Amino acid sequence: MITLTADNRTIQAREGSSVLSACLSAGIYIPHLCWLEADAPADAPAACRLCLVEIEGFREPVAACVVTVENGMTVHTGTETVRRLQKTALKLLLSVHRVDCKHCPANKACALQNIAKFLGTGLGCKPFERVLKEPDVDSRHPVLDYYPNRCVLCGICVRVCRQRHQRPLLSFARRGFETVVGCFDADPVAAADCMSCRACLESCPTGALVQRTVVKG
Amino acid sequence: MPLPLTAEDRLHLKTLQPQIAASPKGRGQLIPLLQMAQKALGYLPDEALSLVADHLAVTRSEVYGVASFYNQFRFNPPGKNPVKVCMGTACHVRGGEIILENFERKLEIREGETTEDREFSIERVACVGCCALAPVALVGETLHGHMAPSKVEGLVLRVRLEKEKAEREAAHS
Amino acid sequence: MARIQAAYRILADEARTRREQFDQSSLPKIHIGMATCGIASGALETKAAFETALADRGIDAHVHTVGCVGHCYAEPVVVIDYPDSGFPPILYPEVTPGKAKMLVKLFLEEGDPRFEHIMGATVENEMIPSVMEFARFSREKRVVMDRCGRIDPEQIHEYIADGGYGALAKALCGTPEAVIAEIEAAGLRGRGGAGFPTARKWRTARAAKGSDKWVVCNADEGDPGAYMDRTLLESNPHQVIEGMIIAAMAVGASRGLFYVRAEYPLAVRILTAAVEQAREMGFLGADILGSGLDFDIDLFQGSGAFVCGEETALIRSVEGYRGMPRHRPPYPVERGLDGRPTVINNVKTLATVPPIVDKGADWFRGIGTADSPGTAVFSVVGNVTHPGLVEIPMGVTLRELIFDICGGIPNKKKFKAVQIGGPSGGCLSAEFLDTPVDFDALTRVGAMMGSGGMVVMDEDCCMVDVSRFFLDFTQKESCGKCTFCRIGTRHLLDILRRLTRGEGREGDLEQLETLSRAVKQGSLCGLGKTAPNPVLTSLAYFRDEYEAHIKEGRCPGRTCRTLTAFYIDLDKCARGCDACVGCCPVEAVFTTSNRKKGIDQQLCVKCGECMVACPPDYDAVVKISPAALAPVIERPAEKKTEN
Repeated sequence: MITLTADNRTIQAREGSSVLSACLSAGIYIPHLCWLEADAPADAPAACRLCLVEIEGFREPVAACVVTVENGMTVHTGTETVRRLQKTALKLLLSVHRVDCKHCPANKACALQNIAKFLGTGLGCKPFERVLKEPDVDSRHPVLDYYPNRCVLCGICVRVCRQRHQRPLLSFARRGFETVVGCFDADPVAAADCMSCRACLESCPTGALVQRTVVKG
Repeated sequence: MPLPLTAEDRLHLKTLQPQIAASPKGRGQLIPLLQMAQKALGYLPDEALSLVADHLAVTRSEVYGVASFYNQFRFNPPGKNPVKVCMGTACHVRGGEIILENFERKLEIREGETTEDREFSIERVACVGCCALAPVALVGETLHGHMAPSKVEGLVLRVRLEKEKAEREAAHS
Repeated sequence: MARIQAAYRILADEARTRREQFDQSSLPKIHIGMATCGIASGALETKAAFETALADRGIDAHVHTVGCVGHCYAEPVVVIDYPDSGFPPILYPEVTPGKAKMLVKLFLEEGDPRFEHIMGATVENEMIPSVMEFARFSREKRVVMDRCGRIDPEQIHEYIADGGYGALAKALCGTPEAVIAEIEAAGLRGRGGAGFPTARKWRTARAAKGSDKWVVCNADEGDPGAYMDRTLLESNPHQVIEGMIIAAMAVGASRGLFYVRAEYPLAVRILTAAVEQAREMGFLGADILGSGLDFDIDLFQGSGAFVCGEETALIRSVEGYRGMPRHRPPYPVERGLDGRPTVINNVKTLATVPPIVDKGADWFRGIGTADSPGTAVFSVVGNVTHPGLVEIPMGVTLRELIFDICGGIPNKKKFKAVQIGGPSGGCLSAEFLDTPVDFDALTRVGAMMGSGGMVVMDEDCCMVDVSRFFLDFTQKESCGKCTFCRIGTRHLLDILRRLTRGEGREGDLEQLETLSRAVKQGSLCGLGKTAPNPVLTSLAYFRDEYEAHIKEGRCPGRTCRTLTAFYIDLDKCARGCDACVGCCPVEAVFTTSNRKKGIDQQLCVKCGECMVACPPDYDAVVKISPAALAPVIERPAEKKTEN
């Protein structure tokens, strides 16, 4: 076991685990979106940039999911710098998010809502202007609807699909600000598979993937 | 909507098929194969994506996901005379954007599009490395340095006239 | 040891004999620069014109294609070496096909070198001033580009005859540790941008566990406005290949890969041929020069994603995935391509290795500064008299580089700024002109060596627009993986776009600064971490320009088109001239009742053609900002302009 200090508490963690997993196990919450429990520090995507922490000896704030715990490490999860960056990251995500919680299946179980609550910010994105994608729904997947304006591009759906299926249907497409998750191969045979799997639906933190009520004929 | 395949496209697909089949397999081949397909067709229609996907035993979704990440790959056919306007820093400082706009205005298409007769397409390219000649544009393979808005019309006209001339000559012979 | 040297000596002797035969031939030799920039300026046509003219006149001569000398402003560049004429080898700039024909007739046939067309002799002599009298030549120090423009890149024997692959033979006679120690003693720092010590990278890779290690040459030069890597690969590929083999020997790698942009077709072609030739000569493959070293090189064409210049993204794309970077560590030297230890070095870094091994660390340390030894290659472009590639010792000041070596700002304009390091770099104002060019000095003032792109801007450039340009680039090239870069750069761009349209608001500048800092701190990879640099530096050094856009709706560089208008000064306009009417692409220029001209502000697209077209004697077209200051001239209703 490794012993380290997090927010002035001495905590223990399994060797080779990440600072994020160590803190979470010890009951210290760090906001995160793209991390899966099985992720080793060398494999975590570190894409959402919400789990930033300050670690003594590091020049800059660093994503807690990619740092391996070390004996004697001192971690601060709630410094002013960390909170400022987390709030900015959240606001950036919200600036491309259609905040319409009432009509969203993730309402009350939404990762964005939870993180906003934790950080004590609302769901507004000021001072950033809201920029939404067109169209609001992508129905190319045989059984799912994808809502780009709910998606935070954490990539969890793409990863679970890849873990479960040899020939995964979900993939990232395009690049940069235009990046989307999607399926670009309406293979009807695969649809049956998707109905029984549902892993992506269940793992989506923000309700961006929804089972279509009327299946394409 | 994607444009329908032309007879020429189908012919190219037919020659591409055995080339791809003869290529090595393995995920690392994905980008070289896409490059091979685009070289043959000038762009990547769905049919070409499928060929690559089937050869590597991955979904078309996966192939599109990779192809759409890179600037090199295009999903609509280029014009016979692709216009490439350099958007490098030196060209920008010397008015590259105005050149681009002039092509867009004269050809009545936007950057990334192809004219209906498939004669022209316009794209912006990163530095072509002729900064001393800025602003620069390529029409087909020919590079035109020290571009000016007033030269745009002449270039387009010249290509159209040459085409007409070629057609006339073809009709006569 | 002796075996390696003997094997090399056989190849070297053969190459030297061939080269000497060529050099000592009394036939005239015409050397034409044929890299992409030369070809773009018409070198192919020039070559054809020489060949036709020689054939027509029945003159026997060698037409010798070489790479690029870096003098882009003078392309196509031709050197004519005609020993029997009594003149030294002469360099001619801007040799058009017409000039080529003329030179064949007058110089090669009649012996008159036509002094009015000469730039200078390439060697010191008594008859013709040498090019070394120009600062552009004499102030350069060529290490990386030494052979560029002197040898034919497609003929390996020319490289070998010039001492090429000698460093490899020397390195193979020693130990890997000795090579790394030499590179360390030389203080070589990576030429790809950040300036990381090369020896340290190599040592980590050497120590890393795992077989089948890789050496990758990063030639994914994506910075808009930098093209030295391409020029080097097109002009002297073997120096890079030699550096790569030495690197492989030093780190214990067995496989090499060139990652070259597919947008560089000529470089790809020349490099492919060069690797093939090196293999034939036994510099690549099994048991190189009998040393027991096995190493071979493949080529991968990068598909155009700026982010793939980042090591981990480059690796992903070679593996066949979307080129998205991952967090480091683990560094590629430990876990890289296919999970194997991988050294990734820039083209110029690798090209610097053979000269260091050949001439020693002390020689290298004698060039440049203590912390940044060696030379720097810049592509100096923009508003500068002699644009092109320049290789200078580190520590030369920006002022010397821009004004002495590159001839300063043309058209009697004033210097405003220099942008260094491309999209990751920064804009420096005149007060920084005495900054020495080296890794640390540039970083200290907020710019960065980066890829070596240098864009010089005169008083007519708008710094807000330049920031917008770079942000537009990075925003488009962001891979989209991490939140700060994907969305943050978009908001930065939106604000900058608003400013250039004159829709800036109170608080915009503060927001630009805050968000820029957040993107720098929060982003995953180097692209995001440096993307705000152009904004932050220009805000620091040209804040008044930003404020003018917001508060006065004025663009001081008169570049932002919504804030600028063109009008015709009626006191200067000559009635008889129609130059401005004819050149306008949108028919916005009209003739008034007294036959003077006016501009329809509604139609005008502000391309500036009329300003160029207006004869200097009149100089009647005026550009003004804010746009509202342009006097309104009514368009006469009754008559249209074109009949």
